[in-house]
Amino acid sequence: MNWLKRPLRAAFDYAESALDAACGARHNPLAQLGALGWFMFWLITGSGIYLFVFFDTGVTQAYESLESITHDQWWAGGILRSFHRYASDVLVLVTFLHFLREFALDRMRGRRWFAWVTGLLLVGFIYVCGITGYWMVWDQLAQYVALTTSRWLDALPIFAEPISRNFLSNAELSGRFFTLMVYIHIAAPLLMLALMWVHIQRYNHARVNPTQPLMIATAATFLVLSLLAPALSQGPADLDRLAASVGLDWFYIPLYPLVGSLGSVTLWWIVIGIFLVLAVLPWVPPLPATQPAEVHLDNCNGCARCFADCPFSAITMQPRSDGSGFTEEAVVDPDLCVSCGICVGACPTATPFRRSTALVPGIELPDHRIAGLREQVEAICAATPGEPRILAFRCPHGAAVAAPADTAVAVIDVPCTGMIPPSFLDFVVTRKLASGVMLAGCCEGECYQRLGVNWTEARIAAERDPYLRDRISRDRVAVSWASPAQKSMRTKALRRFATALAALDPAPAKAEPTSRAAWRDEATRFVLPVRIVVQVLLAVGVSALVAYFSDTPAVELRGADEAVVTLSFSHAGRLKQECRKLTPEELAKLPANMRRPGDCPRARWPVYVELELNGQVVYAGMHQPAGIWGDGPSSLFERFAVPAGTQQLTARLRNSGRDSGFDFSNTASVELVPGQNLVVGFHESSGFTFR
Amino acid sequence: MASIEWRPEFATGIQDVDHEHRELIGWINQTLAASSQPATPPGQIGDLLGEIFARISAHFALEEHVMSSRRYDQYAEHKRDHEGLLDDIRDIMDDLEAAGRVEERFSTRLTEWFGVHFRTHDARFHHQMPRP
Repeated sequence: MNWLKRPLRAAFDYAESALDAACGARHNPLAQLGALGWFMFWLITGSGIYLFVFFDTGVTQAYESLESITHDQWWAGGILRSFHRYASDVLVLVTFLHFLREFALDRMRGRRWFAWVTGLLLVGFIYVCGITGYWMVWDQLAQYVALTTSRWLDALPIFAEPISRNFLSNAELSGRFFTLMVYIHIAAPLLMLALMWVHIQRYNHARVNPTQPLMIATAATFLVLSLLAPALSQGPADLDRLAASVGLDWFYIPLYPLVGSLGSVTLWWIVIGIFLVLAVLPWVPPLPATQPAEVHLDNCNGCARCFADCPFSAITMQPRSDGSGFTEEAVVDPDLCVSCGICVGACPTATPFRRSTALVPGIELPDHRIAGLREQVEAICAATPGEPRILAFRCPHGAAVAAPADTAVAVIDVPCTGMIPPSFLDFVVTRKLASGVMLAGCCEGECYQRLGVNWTEARIAAERDPYLRDRISRDRVAVSWASPAQKSMRTKALRRFATALAALDPAPAKAEPTSRAAWRDEATRFVLPVRIVVQVLLAVGVSALVAYFSDTPAVELRGADEAVVTLSFSHAGRLKQECRKLTPEELAKLPANMRRPGDCPRARWPVYVELELNGQVVYAGMHQPAGIWGDGPSSLFERFAVPAGTQQLTARLRNSGRDSGFDFSNTASVELVPGQNLVVGFHESSGFTFR
Repeated sequence: MASIEWRPEFATGIQDVDHEHRELIGWINQTLAASSQPATPPGQIGDLLGEIFARISAHFALEEHVMSSRRYDQYAEHKRDHEGLLDDIRDIMDDLEAAGRVEERFSTRLTEWFGVHFRTHDARFHHQMPRP
């Protein structure tokens, strides 16, 4: 899978670097796609509630009420309708990018499968919401959506009669189905919200709100877009006159044209196939097994710092099990632990100054023991000659740490910089094992282990326990957040840190810090005009993309001079066997409570139907009766594009199990105008009708 | 050097905290005893100090957890006092590393801190908090 992930990862890295420089790492939209999805949900919900107040749910009034909302009160309803549509489109866009990014960054593998799989289910809800939303408008797009969705659903063997038959003609259209749509359009988002909550259950401190400036900028962009390109309907639906083409929202219904070209069943297999392939991705190929964190009760007093810092909600505080004087202990759920080690960085007993007893902290990773880390630190620092000498703790998901010329750098790989307890920095600096320590992590915008970057910075700034003590000069502690694509940034940071260290007085390790923030190389920022230009371009680009693909390009449904013949009926074939009286012998054999005068087998003959257009058979098919006993009606819904003009139509039907000949036959000469929908129906009493 | 004795008024009434206070006093007394023996190598005292630093850090972490989970109103002051002692212990450790001996101020600072902190901060915390 790396052949796909690597280029994707590189693309994201470059795009994020550029946006970091343009928007600042904190406000980078690519680093908060999930949170943007939540924000879109609230925008859609808020605008939807307003629209619903003025929306008339009657099938004939729906279109008119929406026209009134759009035009008569364009300043509120019109704008909010555009918000509703464009935020829905952006929701699909950010969801798609969110999936792609989590995949590219490999943040959905192994024990992190949960959010990926629930995310996939959420996509289903997004589409149900979107499709029912377009349906409710009851314009020409809604008509296309209704007919195509019905055709697609009719492929499922669960309906006794095709849903499509609800949309035969204006005369037969019932508001009942439409009310169901309104109900689904309200129920689905509520269920979706519940699933969104489940989606983030395994994340501690899940980010559900983008940064405020980003929210404001997004809402402002929508406002401008709503005024410049308001969302409009596409002409009222008319089941008797079908449009030749319809503008699609390609974010929501890109697959619908395939219902016509590939067929409903094939499309079901494609969708199920895509879902299954995506659903197994967290396990393909299996992630190398890592051992989950283990708790050493002898050194755990239940202080709950690991519990507070675990990004994956893998730690819970439970009643003490060892009979000691403490009341609680940390318990690790091995199914949730991703072995990031951030809990170790939070543990107050994970301090390298301990030597009277074995250096076993309250919690640690069996694959990266703290005692081993201390030995490694001492050994590698001793083995790295030169001044200034930098010890770098490197996260494997970030840029490589390549020592620039004339700088001595010792590198220790750790699962996350958040695994390093601040007292290790204290230890290295005050014992003068190195001139300075660098925590070389992954991307600043969003850490691979979610909270490693945040917690590391907060601990160094003495804002989150455990603090890096104020007595440690921050001039000797550096952070460098760089993705693999930002290798040169990392090298530059190392060189500048080395220069800064060389200028420091080598004697005092303990210093009065001027700032609690760690030393860091100045982040690359575009100059202000460039920043503004890039931000505006981003807003304009996304707006243009969304506005264009929300109703263009249109799909041609049929030629301009073509009409449609719909052949549809629901008719029960004749019974295969007539009722007969049971003989006294047969009755005697039956238990007393099951004796009945006659036997009426319920099975019916299938219905065979043919449609001829100007002497040519355009349709011929055998339709089995519905129901598990084969006693229901045989149903059919088929559409054919035919040239406009005078056409000779002959329909024939056989429902009695005979091998040849027909039980019913009608011929009609019809005058079809372009776009006309002629329904060829059937009823046993009246035979075929051509309307 | 005078050792610290556990006194009933040190009790906060919070089981975990009192349990660890007793353990800590044991560690401190062991270190005080070691440092009062001229024959004890400085390395050994340093190791004991490192141990005390870890134990006190963990103890404060627990105490702060209890305080913040019960929304103790003087959390910030109490924590500041904790951080002050941890800084002092680290100073003493560094001095030992540099000078090879523990200064008298170690025992003075610790006994003083424990006496005052127990009597003021911990006692107040004890009285303010409803019994669990």
